[in-house]
Amino acid sequence: MTRITRFVGGLALAAVLAAPLAGSANAQSSDSDSQIMQGLSQATMFDPSLTAQVLRQMAQDAVAKNAPLTLDKSEIAKRLDTLAQITVQIQFALGSDIIRPESYRTLGAIADAMHHPILWNYKFIVVGNTDTTGTRAFNLKLSQERANAIVQALVTVFGISPDRLEAVGLGQEALQVPSKPQDPINRRVQIFTIGTLGPMGKPVPTGAP
Amino acid sequence: MKRFWVGLAALLLAGMAGSASAQTMSYAEAGALIAKTCGPSIEKFCGKDNLGTGAIRDCLMAHQDQVPQQCFDEYAAARASITKRIAAQGDAYKTCNASIREACAGVQPGDANILTCLQTASKIVRPACKQVLIDAGWWQ
Repeated sequence: MTRITRFVGGLALAAVLAAPLAGSANAQSSDSDSQIMQGLSQATMFDPSLTAQVLRQMAQDAVAKNAPLTLDKSEIAKRLDTLAQITVQIQFALGSDIIRPESYRTLGAIADAMHHPILWNYKFIVVGNTDTTGTRAFNLKLSQERANAIVQALVTVFGISPDRLEAVGLGQEALQVPSKPQDPINRRVQIFTIGTLGPMGKPVPTGAP
Repeated sequence: MKRFWVGLAALLLAGMAGSASAQTMSYAEAGALIAKTCGPSIEKFCGKDNLGTGAIRDCLMAHQDQVPQQCFDEYAAARASITKRIAAQGDAYKTCNASIREACAGVQPGDANILTCLQTASKIVRPACKQVLIDAGWWQ
């Protein structure tokens, strides 16, 4: 287990980052931009056993077994709750993986956070979720395609290294509000910080340059 | 004559320094700009194409006569800014190496510690380093 050692400095910086936006046309979203940074850089414990592959398998098993819905959060959702994370709404065309232009800004804001030195060495899982409208298998497939589309845009448009991103579709298997399975609030994208890409580097040497 | 051109260049640089256009925009601003000027055309003509595949650009070009010129202009501006910012972010550590060694001895990399150090030591940070951090969107 590794701990993200990001403290006051990081949070203060995230606030500073949001400040210049306050004078621009995007003032109304600066709060959420700093929330993206704060969510993804929360001091938390990593869970190395919770990989993209494990998550996919858990969702596939739940669909294959047609496990009944419960009022509690699913096992998958409970395990994911322990990670540093953000939840964002990305608008897709109905029933497809096409990202609507109104969400391009949100993708950019995610890239701003991922490119910042606070997060430069970290890896992320992009998770797509649906509500329970439609069949379980279709929802699983669609959410994977949507997560793939987000990763593709982050990589090819906004220059995030593909080594840092994995896409997972959980379909309806990790509902946000299990008591309201058809509520659109369950349709969401989550991004989890899952660990570091490489060693954090050695301290800057002391002495003459 | 040569003096004239030097003078003009200086004037242009001075003018740019005071405007937003010389700076890179954030990725969020770039995304918003594309959505604002091209969004309606994308929804109208390119509803089956996704961002990041190259298909949207091809589709907009294929409907060039029906897409506002402003979309092409601002799309190009957003892409150019994104490219510049990615390059600056990638070069920042190398470009700032001398300043980091001068100002940040003993600082542990990670969690933006080095950036915070450079900002604290802004008076001795070299101009090239400062410029790359501005282009990276990391300099306040």
